Amino acid sequence: MKDIFFDLSVRSVRLNLMRSILASIGIVIGVVAISSMGMLGTNMQLQVKDQLSSGADTIVITADAVRMGPPGSGSTSSSSSATGITKTQLSKIKLAAGSTSKLVPVYLTNTQFTYGSVPGRGSVYGFNPDDITKFLTIENGTNIGGINDALVGSTFATNFNLKIGNRIRIGQDSDTSRPVLRIVGILAARGMSSDNVNTDNAIIVSDDWYTNQYGGKDIYKQVNVIVKDINTIPDVKTAIDTKLNTDKKTPVVRISDASSRLSGITSSLSSITTFILAIGGISLLVAATSIFNVMMMSVNERIQEIGILLSIGTEKGEVRRMFLYEAVILGILGAGVGGISSLIIGYSVVSYMIGTTKYFFLPESIMYIPVGMAIGLVVCILSGLYPAWMASNMDPIDALRSE
Amino acid sequence: MINIPLIRFADVSKVYHLESGDLTALDHISLDIQDNEFVAIMGPSGSGKSTMMNQLGILDVPTSGELFISGRDVAKITALERTHMRRDMIGYIFQNFYLIPLLSAYENVEYPLILKYKKRDESGKATAILKAVGFDEAMSAHRPTQLSGGQQQRVAIARALVNDPKILLCDEPTGNLDRKTGFQIMDILCGLHSKGKTVIIVTHDPKIAEYADRTITLEDGRIAA
Repeated sequence: MKDIFFDLSVRSVRLNLMRSILASIGIVIGVVAISSMGMLGTNMQLQVKDQLSSGADTIVITADAVRMGPPGSGSTSSSSSATGITKTQLSKIKLAAGSTSKLVPVYLTNTQFTYGSVPGRGSVYGFNPDDITKFLTIENGTNIGGINDALVGSTFATNFNLKIGNRIRIGQDSDTSRPVLRIVGILAARGMSSDNVNTDNAIIVSDDWYTNQYGGKDIYKQVNVIVKDINTIPDVKTAIDTKLNTDKKTPVVRISDASSRLSGITSSLSSITTFILAIGGISLLVAATSIFNVMMMSVNERIQEIGILLSIGTEKGEVRRMFLYEAVILGILGAGVGGISSLIIGYSVVSYMIGTTKYFFLPESIMYIPVGMAIGLVVCILSGLYPAWMASNMDPIDALRSE
Repeated sequence: MINIPLIRFADVSKVYHLESGDLTALDHISLDIQDNEFVAIMGPSGSGKSTMMNQLGILDVPTSGELFISGRDVAKITALERTHMRRDMIGYIFQNFYLIPLLSAYENVEYPLILKYKKRDESGKATAILKAVGFDEAMSAHRPTQLSGGQQQRVAIARALVNDPKILLCDEPTGNLDRKTGFQIMDILCGLHSKGKTVIIVTHDPKIAEYADRTITLEDGRIAA
């Protein structure tokens, strides 16, 4: 059965089609803003989670941040470990981590270099060559064999068009001594890794070459502990903490794993997502004002009609329903077009901003479209409540007199 | 045997509280209208005719006194009950026709049936009543703006009759029609009266008032004759 009040609402919308479409466009924009921004934020989180999960079996130990000593002590650091992990600490870590875990001490600095006549700047990691294959993948070439051999990250190789056998000169032009490294291998892309070893845009050298060049032997930037069983991470962390941070008030090392780093990053991304969703929400607020305005216009233009309806026995609830249907129609129109637009615009935004759409159709991402549509529809209905209430409570005598 | 009138005004007053002071539109009116009467209400502008029609149409309630329609005191029933009385007991015919512009002639007539039975008319009652006022199927599909004044008033009569009300309230039903069409409409109303309807008509035209069994003349909110 077709509801006569729904018919009246449809005809009223048709009668003022242009005005109705313009009001609905506000809802379309709001739905697109909420859905697209929500999907963008979620896709960012999913990508970060995906990238960080590659180092889920790794505990990263760094020297605790430089801590200011007590006033008047003249010290800027609470311990010698402020500059890095020492050999003694490495031994303690090894003991605490147990024999099943693999340890990867990491040297790290930044440097200038030239390839041919092209200058550049990048990170230099120093590893024991035997450690490299424990957690890095050599895509082309071989591992470091000689003292002057080096590996480079995939982005680094692409940017400088480097190939196996090419040579790069380390240091500035003004340096008196500029050692040359021969590229023997190119690493597979790692993306943003949770173990803080970001090799895509870096040069990897042997620990011996590194300490010869930069000094600081046995003072490591960080130590990565790769556990055999991911479930033992909490126990290993506790063991290392007990062994090294004997004074809980002044810990000497900071111990973190993928989950703690992941929660920190996703928390930040969630805040950003909420913020951009709120911006989308503002556009829906504007749309709500527009719908409210259109509904009020509709009520004011139909005062005499409302008077007729009430005088011949239409119940207040039926008049209310008629105007709410009108708000629902505008909402469905706006939310429907908004949903379809969100799919297209959201896909384009995610593709452009993140560079991949492989997470776009996952439920936690795509759900923002129905959520945005539902919010748009609810906003429309809420905007129609007062005009509908006003129409149903008109005095039929006054309404009939209205011209 | 006590003869209970269909409509009883018992010392009814209606006072409007305006910024310029109180305006008494109906002043202690007492009046009985029997079932199947044809009553004309006349009087100059501002005499209280419209206020009386609003009271009879249960669109308003008295400030003092009691108005009984079919034995029920309209001031003592709920707003929803008043709405249902308007829908079921009273057929309203207006000078300006007041058809619903978004609905066709047929839908305008079907509308009170939908209000009463909460469903579309499948009995053919709306079609039959339109036919009785001279509307065929093609004309019934027209919107009010596509109809002449006389045709619109016929649709309004059909709408007023479709729920088989006891009372027909006609507020200047011929006021916006040419003389010939006006008399045609009056013939329809007389026919309805002869079939048992109580017809109450407000008019300025003495020729129209001649159709009635009784004429009530209002002056300054009181019954003058």
